[in-house]
Amino acid sequence: MRVCCGLTGHLELARRPDLYGRPVIVGRWDEHVVAASEETHPFGVVPGMALRQAEHLCPQAVFVLPDEEAVARIRELISAALYDLAPVIEVRDEGIAWLDLEGVVRAGESIRETRRRLLKAVGREPRLGLAPGPFSARLAAARARPGRLLQVDDASAFLAPLPSRELPLDGEQLERLDLLGLRTLRAVAAIGPRELESQLGRDGRRAVLLARGIEPDQLVPWKPPLFTSAHRQFGEPVEDREALLFVARALCGDLADELGLRGAGAKHVRVRLVMESAGSEQRQAIVRHPLSGAAELFGLVGSWIKEWQPSAPIAELWIELPVLEGAGRRQLRLWAGGDGSSEEVAAAMERLQERFGDDVIHQPTPALVTSPVPKERFA
Amino acid sequence: MQAQKLELAIDSIRVRFGSQSLTRAAELPPPQPWSSGTPIDRLTGIGGLPRGRVTLFVGGGTCGKLTLALALLARATHEFAHAIVIDGGGFDPWTLLPFFPELGALTVVRAPAPETAGEAAASLARAGAGFLLLLSEIPEHWLGQLESGANRSGTVVLGVVASPNRALAHASSFSLGFSRVDWSWERGLLVGLRASARCVKNRVAPPLGETELEIRYPLGSQPLPDHHAGITEMPVQVRELSECASAVV
Repeated sequence: MRVCCGLTGHLELARRPDLYGRPVIVGRWDEHVVAASEETHPFGVVPGMALRQAEHLCPQAVFVLPDEEAVARIRELISAALYDLAPVIEVRDEGIAWLDLEGVVRAGESIRETRRRLLKAVGREPRLGLAPGPFSARLAAARARPGRLLQVDDASAFLAPLPSRELPLDGEQLERLDLLGLRTLRAVAAIGPRELESQLGRDGRRAVLLARGIEPDQLVPWKPPLFTSAHRQFGEPVEDREALLFVARALCGDLADELGLRGAGAKHVRVRLVMESAGSEQRQAIVRHPLSGAAELFGLVGSWIKEWQPSAPIAELWIELPVLEGAGRRQLRLWAGGDGSSEEVAAAMERLQERFGDDVIHQPTPALVTSPVPKERFA
Repeated sequence: MQAQKLELAIDSIRVRFGSQSLTRAAELPPPQPWSSGTPIDRLTGIGGLPRGRVTLFVGGGTCGKLTLALALLARATHEFAHAIVIDGGGFDPWTLLPFFPELGALTVVRAPAPETAGEAAASLARAGAGFLLLLSEIPEHWLGQLESGANRSGTVVLGVVASPNRALAHASSFSLGFSRVDWSWERGLLVGLRASARCVKNRVAPPLGETELEIRYPLGSQPLPDHHAGITEMPVQVRELSECASAVV
């Protein structure tokens, strides 16, 4: 695995780019701090502490109420923006974006593009880390300067001197590690997973593996939503076909913008006319190749509306896209330098193996490269 | 009237199946050549090896054609998702290591029989593998499928042969003939050779001529501080070849 991590700060902070550079604390009164900007760190404010305590420590901070829905929207926006840069991406509310670059031919371009898109999405330079797994990549990114990449080749050597407080454990578990004298990841890595498991449970075992750079966690791949729609309600019921076409064109434009952002295309198109008399009529079709442009969508929708004979004046127009899929500019094709899709090449190799036996395809992996016996050099 | 109907049919197909479902041949962008970063790019006349065409390196034994092909293969492993060797027997990935390949992108197809090699090459070119290195004989009846498959997907196909048969020579779009000029010696050791590379066929650009290359062999499995394997161009005058076998088609 080769994981790139981009750190942007908590997405709650990205909601208010006008407050960048000022101390900001996000949380509800009588609850805990959800997010705190870097400017509050010198005062000792950390996420998770009581908001009252944070107010005592940093009274000059701007206090902002959290908005989970807005954060979810920003997370979806960032996920969609990064979707075609790597086969697997995961974005978290804490402002962590992970991209699994394994298999990406031009990983450098993906990383440069990640930086550009994160900057565009949140309005500030992300810190970037490249390491063998998500945990070490996040720690590497945390130690990079804004807009720069810190690359880690040997995860265990990189992790060894870092404090054990970097492990994803709760406060009580971290305190226990401290009492056991395990203050660096080197010390945690040196003891056996079972020994720490007996002290901290399953988390202890996971902590040892993380400290050794083994990375037991896999990324949870983000998948684009598979449904979208747009609609317009008319103040006065409409009978004029030209007016309907005008509105349909505008809705198709909105949908195409959204599809473009997601890198998706519509596989199934449905148009629904809601009548003044509360009934509705609909027409739908499944298309062979995904439609993603406004002209493509309107070409189909417009042709239906032109020949539609509605039974009553129309109160509402819905254009629904119930099935979405990648619009042909999906992921690895972008960076594969003119190759066909990997799936097609893999399928061709499988067909050759079926015909001529498994040995016909050999993917050399170095074993004993310096061996004088040629057969021992590669697995 | 027929033209209008045709336009209408094309428009409805594009609306129904997407704007990319039908494309006029004249509107297709020409495939960009693959820049190999070696002096060969200049000899092709288009700045790189042609995509979707068959390129041949021909010449007798120990003239440097295989070393050059291995250097190109190593570079291809960094730039394509799939760099594939069609091996008739005898290819050792170890010989590639001095050129620092990305082994994750390398696949070797062991083809003991020419028939297997032909089918493998044609199907992988059709599937869209980025780079194909042919180290095996390809039967004549597979060459057409190899050409059309590569043409459709833009695969760079490179064949290395001592002397091509008539069908393979006909199928290739760009052929370079290699001949050894001299051996290179350093401190009493053979470290490489000087070879003349001469365009003997070019169907993608006007024939540019010939050049002289210094090919330094990899010595051992580990890189040496004072010896680097590689290919460099010797400063010789480029001249038009009047006896080039074919002109631009």
